[in-house]
Amino acid sequence: MATLDLQNISKSFGAAQVLHDISLAIDDREFVVFVGPSGCGKSTLLRIIAGLEEASDGQIVIGGQDVSAAHPVDRGISMVFQSYALYPHLSVFENIAFPLRVQKLPEPELKEKVGKAAEILQLTDKLNLKPGQLSGGQRQRVAIGRSIVRDPKVFLFDEPLSNLDAALRGDMRVELSQLHRDLNATMVYVTHDQIEAMTMADRIVVLNGGRVEQFGTPMELYHHPATKFVASFIGQPNMNLIPAVVKGTAEGLTVELDGGHVMTLPVETGAVHVGDKVEVGIRPEDVTLGADGLDISIRVLERLGGASITYGTIGAGTRFCASLPGNAPIREGENMALTIDPAACHVFDAKGDVLRRQSAPALVA
Amino acid sequence: MMDRYTKLQMVGIYAAITVFLIFILLPFFEMFMASLRPLEHLFRSPYQFWSDDFSFDAYSKMWETVPLLGRYIFNSIFIASMVTGLTMIFVVPAAYAYARLDFPFKNASLAIFLGVNMFTGAVLLIPLYRVLRTLGLLNTYWAMIVPGVAFLIPTGIWLLRSYLEKIPKELEEAAYVDGASRMYTLRRVVLPLAVPGLIVVGVAVFIGAYAQQFLFAITFNQTRELQPLPAGLYEFIGYQSVTWNEMMAAALVGVLPVMVIFLFLQKYLVAGLTAGAVKE
Repeated sequence: MATLDLQNISKSFGAAQVLHDISLAIDDREFVVFVGPSGCGKSTLLRIIAGLEEASDGQIVIGGQDVSAAHPVDRGISMVFQSYALYPHLSVFENIAFPLRVQKLPEPELKEKVGKAAEILQLTDKLNLKPGQLSGGQRQRVAIGRSIVRDPKVFLFDEPLSNLDAALRGDMRVELSQLHRDLNATMVYVTHDQIEAMTMADRIVVLNGGRVEQFGTPMELYHHPATKFVASFIGQPNMNLIPAVVKGTAEGLTVELDGGHVMTLPVETGAVHVGDKVEVGIRPEDVTLGADGLDISIRVLERLGGASITYGTIGAGTRFCASLPGNAPIREGENMALTIDPAACHVFDAKGDVLRRQSAPALVA
Repeated sequence: MMDRYTKLQMVGIYAAITVFLIFILLPFFEMFMASLRPLEHLFRSPYQFWSDDFSFDAYSKMWETVPLLGRYIFNSIFIASMVTGLTMIFVVPAAYAYARLDFPFKNASLAIFLGVNMFTGAVLLIPLYRVLRTLGLLNTYWAMIVPGVAFLIPTGIWLLRSYLEKIPKELEEAAYVDGASRMYTLRRVVLPLAVPGLIVVGVAVFIGAYAQQFLFAITFNQTRELQPLPAGLYEFIGYQSVTWNEMMAAALVGVLPVMVIFLFLQKYLVAGLTAGAVKE
C-alpha cells in the first residue's frame, strides 16, 4: 500500500485546458473521492493517475516514487471502469485471471489468487459463467475482482456504480466500503454523486472547472465549505443561497436578506464592507418552523414520511427549500415562517469564497 | 411483435424481392436447365421449355471432355483461399491501426485506399503484367494471387476498421492497465470479439477473389494446370462445337463447394452478428 501525491498536475487537450495545477497528497490506506459535475476533469485526473492519459505538466508520486512516465502496471495501480470493461468472450474466471495471465503467473498460483478474489467478492459459484449471464452488481464485482488479484498499491474507480439501479447502488456502496476496510488499500474513487462521496470517502476532493475547490473530510465539506460551489454541491437537498446586502460589520455580519429579513451572523467579516452584496447559505435541514422569522410562501410540499421537503419562495422570488419534520402542520399554497439559527448560516462574498464561521458544530473525528 | 407494414406495403415488398430474386437466380436456373438438355436440343427451334430427354449425362461426360476440370475447380478454390488468407494477414493489423492508433496521414492514406478501389483491375492489367514479368511471377499461382491480394486489401481495411471501431475502447484500456501489450490485447481481446467482423470481411474478400481471378488468370497465366475454373471453362469451346450443356454443368459443379460453404457460414454469420457479444 502506498501514498499518492499529485504535484502541480495540468492537462490540456489542444487549446482547452481541463486541469489547472492540481496538487493533492493522499495518505496511505485512504479512501479519497473525486467529486464534481460532469466535465469538471475528475475522470481525466483519474486517467492521468492510471497512466491512460499523460499530464501536460506535473508529477505523480506513488509510494515515494515518481511514476509520471511509468506504465500503469509499474505504477502499481489497478482500475475499475464505469462500463466494467469485462471481456464478454471470457469466463468470469478468465476475466479475473487476465492480469495474472499477462504476468504469466504459474497455473497453481493463479488459481489460488483468483479463488481468493472470488471468495472475497462472493463469486465462487459464478466462475464458469460468461459476463453476459451475470447481473449488473455481479459484473461490477467481477471488475473489482480483476483489479484486486494483482495486489496493486492504489485502486482507481471510475464511476463504478453509475450503471446500476438505485437500490443496488446502495448495496454496492456498503460493499465497497467493506472492501476498502478488508483490503486496507489506498483507493481513489470518481463520482458525480455527492451521496456516494459523502458516504464512502475518508476525504473528498471537490473539483470544478479543472480546479480543486476543496479537499477535506465529508464533515469539513458539509460544515465548512470553502466556496459557494462546494456548499451548493454537498448536501441533499441543496443549500439555499439567498442574495443579501451587508448592513453592518460590527460584532458579526449584519445582513438584510432578499425579502427584508435582517440577521446578524457570527462570521469573520474580513474584507466585506457595508453595502456589499453577499450570499447567505442556509441548509434546508438547518431551519425550524417558528412563529416569526423568514416568511415563505409554499409552492410544493413533498411528504416523505420522516421529513417534509418544502419548496417555496421568499422576497422577490428567490427559491427556498426547507426540510421540516414529517408531521409539520403546513400546506401547499400557504405561507409559513421559518426560524433560522444564525450560527448555522454560511456567508459567501461576491467571488463565491466563504467568510469563516466563528462557531460551527464540532467535527466528528 | 407488431406488424409494422400494411398489407399493401407487404405485397409491394414481396413483389420487389421476387423481381430481384428472379433477376439474380434466373441465370442459374437456365444454367441448370441447359446442363440437363442434350446438346442438340439446345439449338431446337421453336424453344421448348420441357424436354422428355432430360438427363444428367453432361455431369459425367464433362470430366472426359475436359480432363483437368477437377484441377481447375481445385485451383479456383485454392487461389481464392490463398488470396483471402494473405489479405486477412495484411488487413487485420492495418485495420486495427486505422481504428485505434494515431499516425500522420491517417485520413489521407485511408482516402487513397478508397481511391485505389475505384480502379478496376482491368485498367492496370498492362502495368501489372510488366511488374509480374519483372518479378518472374508470370505463369505461377502467384501471378493470380498477388494482384488479387493487392486489390482486396483496401476493401478489407475499410470493412474491418469500421467493425473494430465498434469494440469499446475501455476493454483495451482495461487490458493496457493490466499490463497487456498491444499485440497481446489484439490477440486475446480484440480479435475474439471481432470474429463476426472477421468472417464478414473474409467472406467479402473470398467472393471478391473468386470473381476477379478470371481476369488475372487469362492475362498472367498460360500454364493449363494452374488455371482456375472460369478460365478452364474455355476448354469446352472446341474447334467445331461448344458443348454448352457440359460447360453449364461444370460451372455449376465448380460453384457448388463455395455455395455450400457459404450456406453454412451464413447461419454462423447471423448468429454471430446478433449475439451482441460486444454490448455490455
